[in-house]
Amino acid sequence: MMNKRSTTQSVILYTLVLALVIFCVFPFLQILSTSLKHPIDWGNPSLIPRVLHLDAYKELLGLMPAKEVDVPASVQRLLDNPALSAEKKQMLLDKFSAGGDVFPFGRYMLNTFVISFVTGICSTFLASLAAYAIARLRFPAQSLMANGVLFVYMVGGVLLMVPLYQMSVNVGLASSAAGTIFSLFLIYLIQTLPVAMYMLGNYFRTIPFSLEEAAMMDGCSRVEAFWRIIMPLSKPMLFTVFIYCFVIAWNEYLFASVFLKQYQDFQTLPLALQTLFTSKNAIWDRIMAASMLTLLPVVICFMLANKHLSGGLTDGGVKG
Amino acid sequence: MSSVLIKNESRLGLKLVAPAVGIIGLLVIYPILFNIYLSFFDVQLNGTKTFVGMENYTDLLGNPRYYHSIGVSVIYLIGTVIGTTVLGLAAAILMNQEFRFRNLARGLILLPYFAPVISVVFGWQFIFDPVNGIYNHVVVDVLHLTDTRENLIGNPDSALFVVIVFDIWKHFPIAYLLFLAKLQSVPKDLYEAAAIDGQNAWGRFWHVTLPELRFVIATVVLLRVIWNLNRFEDVYLLAPNVETLPIFTYYQAFAGIVDQGVAAAISVIQLLVLVGLIWLYVRKVLKW
Repeated sequence: MMNKRSTTQSVILYTLVLALVIFCVFPFLQILSTSLKHPIDWGNPSLIPRVLHLDAYKELLGLMPAKEVDVPASVQRLLDNPALSAEKKQMLLDKFSAGGDVFPFGRYMLNTFVISFVTGICSTFLASLAAYAIARLRFPAQSLMANGVLFVYMVGGVLLMVPLYQMSVNVGLASSAAGTIFSLFLIYLIQTLPVAMYMLGNYFRTIPFSLEEAAMMDGCSRVEAFWRIIMPLSKPMLFTVFIYCFVIAWNEYLFASVFLKQYQDFQTLPLALQTLFTSKNAIWDRIMAASMLTLLPVVICFMLANKHLSGGLTDGGVKG
Repeated sequence: MSSVLIKNESRLGLKLVAPAVGIIGLLVIYPILFNIYLSFFDVQLNGTKTFVGMENYTDLLGNPRYYHSIGVSVIYLIGTVIGTTVLGLAAAILMNQEFRFRNLARGLILLPYFAPVISVVFGWQFIFDPVNGIYNHVVVDVLHLTDTRENLIGNPDSALFVVIVFDIWKHFPIAYLLFLAKLQSVPKDLYEAAAIDGQNAWGRFWHVTLPELRFVIATVVLLRVIWNLNRFEDVYLLAPNVETLPIFTYYQAFAGIVDQGVAAAISVIQLLVLVGLIWLYVRKVLKW
């Protein structure tokens, strides 16, 4: 900091940094390593696989050739019977090939992506309107709302799961898949809105008011000034907030597990992974490959938003 | 400003906050009140309700499992709050030094916080897996500390400590960020003055860093208590046998013999504690 470090000090510093980084990254390396190892290699404590084994990824991404179906001879004779319709044959075959072996990973990934994306967009949009009002305009109950956001931000999902579930049962949303997904979307919106409002509100306050004033002198209305001045200037922060909301929705497990349990086709990744883990197909390499693929989009988002993220998080008081 | 302008401005303000506040009101404020109402009923998953008065509360207060979960929660809170704060502070001081690859290191230590819980729990489970895990390999085969391989996560008592370590790992980056932001604003001349006074590194930490950081430390501690009180996923997904209060509530509400009224009652009591903490945060922390 001030004067040059001695060699001993440097060694200590780098050792500490290395130890901390290893502590943070080790579980990720473990996941990557196990996902690439062949089952016979699991007992090998080294993180480097003896042989690179990509079957788990291929299987999850649907790149594996279809397995030969093992059919008992008696059933085979039935299948050879030309009188049997193709449909019936397929049904018979399915009985043997199904068995929970197929894990529609791509589908779960798409489900999660769609709901997270929509949540991120809606939340960022609604939050930017509200945050602008709270940061810039004067209206009744303004400070109550500014503090209220903070309060809401700290109420955890566990406290709301029973009433929210009962509400969606009462209005009939829980009885259809579409209604359930809509409920879930609304819930993700409230999980992200307060954070987004808080982060954006703090950011808008850092933009000099004189810029809007100048635009309004030139004949812009308040709303136009918001769209033409504030929003473009906030692009990096809007993007960061979007990513933050996206990641919260992508990672969410509690409400997904409560709401989507019975709608298997619409499950999100966290829920699906948990099901995979507790199912009879719980094989480490598969689970780890699935974990890796769930992690990857988050890491990419994180790298894209990294520049503004640290600042935005501390400004926002940080959730988690 | 003229009164017309003020009126226009406040109308626009209300219009802009309306959607967000409406959704929050409908899905947070109303459910909180609805939850209090539900806590006086016997509630089934399908929505049928029968009024039972205070029965849910008396049942709950007579249930040893409730007190057990409170005890587990308290240990969990103490462990994670102290752990995240201390490690966060240490990491912030470390990362505030100049060194090569600092930006890379700063990025890497944020990863645990962003990673989906569901992915990283499997990594941790594998580490502690009795057959293949590196933990047992190191403890039994390398260091010979014990003779038998143990299933740390399988046993609720040891699993609690694994969960605490996991949570420190997952959440210290947030504490670290808050500390780092504050450290960067500590005036350099304070350190120089202390150095001139003959303070060594430890003395400078004790007499300059800590006093400058004391409000941030209090903030971090309070925020960790608030958020870890509500924490569900990390604990449930890594070790469902560690029954903290939120896990106990979840089991009451959605697993086994479903009793959503009792779950509502637990939430009401927990919310009262939480409101007290948040009040403290708004009153004290925001004034700092």
